[in-house]
Amino acid sequence: MTADEKRALWRQMRVPLLGFIALLGLLAINVALGAIVNFRGSWVVEACVTVCMVGVVLLLSMDVREASPLIRLFSGLGFFWVLIMFTMTLTDYLWR
Amino acid sequence: MAEAVGIALSEHFESVEQQREATTLGMWAWLLTELLLFAGLFLIALILRIQHPQSVTLATTHLKFWIGAANTAVLICSSFTMSGAIACSRLGWRGPMLHCMLATASLGTLFLVLKGYEYYTDYVEHMIPFLDRPYALAADPATRLFVDVYFVTTALHGLHLMTGVSILLVLTRMAARPHFLATHQNRIEIYGLYWHFIDLIWIIVFPVLYVLNR
Repeated sequence: MTADEKRALWRQMRVPLLGFIALLGLLAINVALGAIVNFRGSWVVEACVTVCMVGVVLLLSMDVREASPLIRLFSGLGFFWVLIMFTMTLTDYLWR
Repeated sequence: MAEAVGIALSEHFESVEQQREATTLGMWAWLLTELLLFAGLFLIALILRIQHPQSVTLATTHLKFWIGAANTAVLICSSFTMSGAIACSRLGWRGPMLHCMLATASLGTLFLVLKGYEYYTDYVEHMIPFLDRPYALAADPATRLFVDVYFVTTALHGLHLMTGVSILLVLTRMAARPHFLATHQNRIEIYGLYWHFIDLIWIIVFPVLYVLNR
């Protein structure tokens, strides 16, 4: 592999590599919370870590940040629909 | 080493750019329907946690936490190798791309093997309530609701992964032919979206079923 090819590969793989490291780090936090550290309200931290992991996959692995505005809107709308579904259902179950 | 990279224009598109945009949007449209399907199952699991917290905690302690954690790491690794395949396809490096695709399929298969072993231990420990044999937590009927959701969610995800591995192997065979990257490079990118999505769903499944308030 020539120096130019190495540079080209690094340009392509830099973001996926960062995402990979971030995902493994965040997974380690959730595993530690689930296996060792268990305190009242730990679910809040676990949920936040999960949201971060989903964000990393969407933005870095699925390239949403470099997608066209239409695709960015589309991917955002999907999660917005999920948010509506969760909010309305949990509002009912939590305050009934 | 590098081959020509491009997309053969289909007759119903005006330009390659329009074709690329349409195929990506089409894949996203499908992935969003899948997201809503799985979101319904996640919502059921959360409602069960709200309504029967002690029963769910009891059921959760019988799940194989470390297999779930290992499987999450396996899928994260497979997403990275899929990103490697996409990167190599953009650079026109067919050989390394094929290796990355095969590594991705292998990691997907490893996930399924670990999942199969987990189901086997569930069977041995009488943790499959819908089979015609004694259920270990029969004294607490509410646990059955959560265990049922666990099996439906993980089996549905496993089905998606099995389909994904099969399609990936077919795509690898197609991509091994000369001139594939010159005419169909975007297929690797579009498929990559599906694979990353399978990873994304499991990243949510793991905490919702195995970790929360364990």
